[in-house]
Amino acid sequence: MFDKILGVALAAALLSAGPNLATAQAINSEPLSDPRVRQAIAYAIDMDTIVETLFEGKAIAADSMLPNGPFKPDGLNPYAYNPDKARELLAAANWDSSRELDMVYYYGDQLTADLMATLQAYLGDVGVKMTYRKLEGDVGAQLTTRPTNPVDGTSNIAWDLGYGAAAATALQEYYNPYKTGGTSHTPSDPALDGMIDAINATADPDKQRPAYFELQKYWNTKLDTLPLYYQQLFIYESKKLNRNGGSYGNEQYNYDADIVNWTMEPDANGKQIMRTNTAPPQFFELPWANLGIWITSKVVFDKMLSADGSLSVNGGQLAESYSVGADGMSASFTLQDGLTWHDGSALTVGDVAWSIKTALRVPQIHAVVENTFTSIEGGQAYRDGDADDISGISTDGNTITLTMSKLDPNMLLTFTQFAILPEAHLGDEDPLQLQQSSFWQKPIGSGPFRIEEVQMNDFVRYVPFENYHGGVAKIDEIIATPSLDGDGNLLKNAGAGQMDYGFTKNVADVAALEAMDHMRVIAADIPYTRMIWFNKFPRK
Amino acid sequence: MLIYIIRRVLIFIPMLLAISFLVYGALELTPGDAVSALINPEVSGRLTEAQFNELREAYGLNKSFLARYGIWLANVFQGNFGHSLAGGVPISTIFLDRLPATLELSVVALLFSTIMGCILGTFSALKRGSIADSSLTVVGMLGVSIPEFFFGLVALLIFALNLGWLPVGGRLLPGYESIWDRVPHIIMPAMVLSLMMTAGVMRYARSSMLDALSKEFIKTARSKGLPEWRINLMHGFRVALTPVVVLIGFRLPLLIGGSVIIEQVFQWPGIGNAFIAAVRGSDYPLVMMIALFSVFSVLLASLVIDVLTALIDPRVRLN
Repeated sequence: MFDKILGVALAAALLSAGPNLATAQAINSEPLSDPRVRQAIAYAIDMDTIVETLFEGKAIAADSMLPNGPFKPDGLNPYAYNPDKARELLAAANWDSSRELDMVYYYGDQLTADLMATLQAYLGDVGVKMTYRKLEGDVGAQLTTRPTNPVDGTSNIAWDLGYGAAAATALQEYYNPYKTGGTSHTPSDPALDGMIDAINATADPDKQRPAYFELQKYWNTKLDTLPLYYQQLFIYESKKLNRNGGSYGNEQYNYDADIVNWTMEPDANGKQIMRTNTAPPQFFELPWANLGIWITSKVVFDKMLSADGSLSVNGGQLAESYSVGADGMSASFTLQDGLTWHDGSALTVGDVAWSIKTALRVPQIHAVVENTFTSIEGGQAYRDGDADDISGISTDGNTITLTMSKLDPNMLLTFTQFAILPEAHLGDEDPLQLQQSSFWQKPIGSGPFRIEEVQMNDFVRYVPFENYHGGVAKIDEIIATPSLDGDGNLLKNAGAGQMDYGFTKNVADVAALEAMDHMRVIAADIPYTRMIWFNKFPRK
Repeated sequence: MLIYIIRRVLIFIPMLLAISFLVYGALELTPGDAVSALINPEVSGRLTEAQFNELREAYGLNKSFLARYGIWLANVFQGNFGHSLAGGVPISTIFLDRLPATLELSVVALLFSTIMGCILGTFSALKRGSIADSSLTVVGMLGVSIPEFFFGLVALLIFALNLGWLPVGGRLLPGYESIWDRVPHIIMPAMVLSLMMTAGVMRYARSSMLDALSKEFIKTARSKGLPEWRINLMHGFRVALTPVVVLIGFRLPLLIGGSVIIEQVFQWPGIGNAFIAAVRGSDYPLVMMIALFSVFSVLLASLVIDVLTALIDPRVRLN
């Protein structure tokens, strides 16, 4: 009897410590599949010092893939810099010190190159040799080609460590790719699969929270991917701009900043002209992959719903009302009356239905949007080309109803970000080559500003849309030039007083912008985590 | 001369064909293709092999290198220059949109550098050994040694950011369309683009002028009692101009290509920017046409120079 009790107690102890004990060894012939090696690499890197020096304090060291906030549990191991511990773990894992790890990255900025050199030095200090190289050419294939067999197959990629990022609109995005067969670098883990299913099983934040807690604790030990730091976003504005109470938020996406009520100090001619960047160099980008990076996505294309700065739904935009079924398996959106496109033609639910269907056939679509639309009944078959229509979409008058085949916790979020496009202008195009349509030389939308003039690669001039359902914007003109994050033209234009609004993640730009008396910079914490991927599959 | 010109133009055809094949081949050797450039790495991880194949088929990238080159060449011979793979814009539209900006910049830079280079070079030769000559020689050396982007940044800092006299970039202010509205925008990029060439023309004109002034016919002219200005300009400068014209003629097509950096620094919406974007995006129809245009410009310039040289210098005979 005592033996049985002892056996049960031992089993319980083993199970409760499961992740630590069960995973503290290599799962295949690749040493990086040993969590001790990955932990050692985490301990070897002094992220706090890197943040303070290299990033000039404009980043936050990460202890989880998820950003700080209510969905992160207490007590995660931050892997504070401890080179002795790193050496101990490497010794325990029998690390072969002659092995040279191949680190790849694809960012072209100097800061990344500096970070690579720093990481190389830190790893070298604990006896891990590492070289790094920037990927060129077909970067996607080199990074993401998955093994034929995700359980115990061999790797189809040629690197050991990869430096990358995840900019998530929805928190599930951090983990969903790690389900079996979803990545090029992480072998199947049924326990992890279950935890990922759990965070997707409900749209109720109170029920999601414990699932996220469990998943992050598991991840914190296993470190399938090492979260390095949370990147901040910096919104810069000239002091001539007044948001008049409009909020600040995640500028990389679409949120309700009340731009209709923004004002500018009038110029010598009495005009309120706001200058910004992100105008297109060659063509306007289809706004279904990069959802809110370009100024055009923000001001020209309206969405069904609007979101606040943290991307939580805060009301309708094109939709006058909306409702979600109690089980989350259906949703209805009723459009406002009298909506028009910038050319004066009527915006109808037909445009909404066409946009959803077309998005499923274009090559570039955001992961959250794709997940929502393939969750609609018949959506996946339509995406795969096995059906000619999506049975889960129905329209009646001004109302469009979606019936889901599986629950998507981010369905409403999708409709705060997904731009509705005019079927009349794009309906005849091949979805595969939708981006190549002449429409994208001067697109027509339904947002608060319409495109008045395009001098491609020089500037774009936007003026208020007179029939905008949310009122006519107070600013007379927005002039955008084709300058982006990390582009030297940004600082030059800002220095000359030609930049009134924009955002950047480039810390070097931030320091320069902060030094300009006529500018102000507002830091925003966004879900954007930089990380190191470990290729844990055996090499061929 | 007409026969000579026709013969030269006919020679262009095999040269252009050979160069087009080499450029196409070089593009083929670069890693990735238009599809991999169009799809960002985060998204491509979610696409299947079948989806990639479908895309490559849609863009005509699934055929062999020779087949694709053959199709492209056949289209060009029919006057169909194709579309940009990235944005679907007809190549002819891109040229019509962008080339005027580049030509405008290049021609202004060429005119300025030619006039200034000839004046300063001649002056330097006539004042040989003086402080002015030595100073201009030093300035000329600096002009050809310091990269254009550096001059560009310094000019921006002084004239746009500190003094506020000139705009920081662009070709035109929104809402303004007249030629006079363009003038403030072109001053800085054209001056910076012309600096290196001014220095080159100046040094060339100086040595050429010195060479001309040492010839016997100059002594003869002097012995005839002609006024000094007439000797220098009508006899010396005209002969000295021949090698300078060759230099200037070859510089125009080079200016078109060489304005790439200046276009970047001054946000000038020319063909150079389009070329960089096309190479990065493996947008081969656009790369091919811009490359062929540049090559054609050089060939045409060499022909024009030959003809001009014959017209300027009666001793030169075309055959």
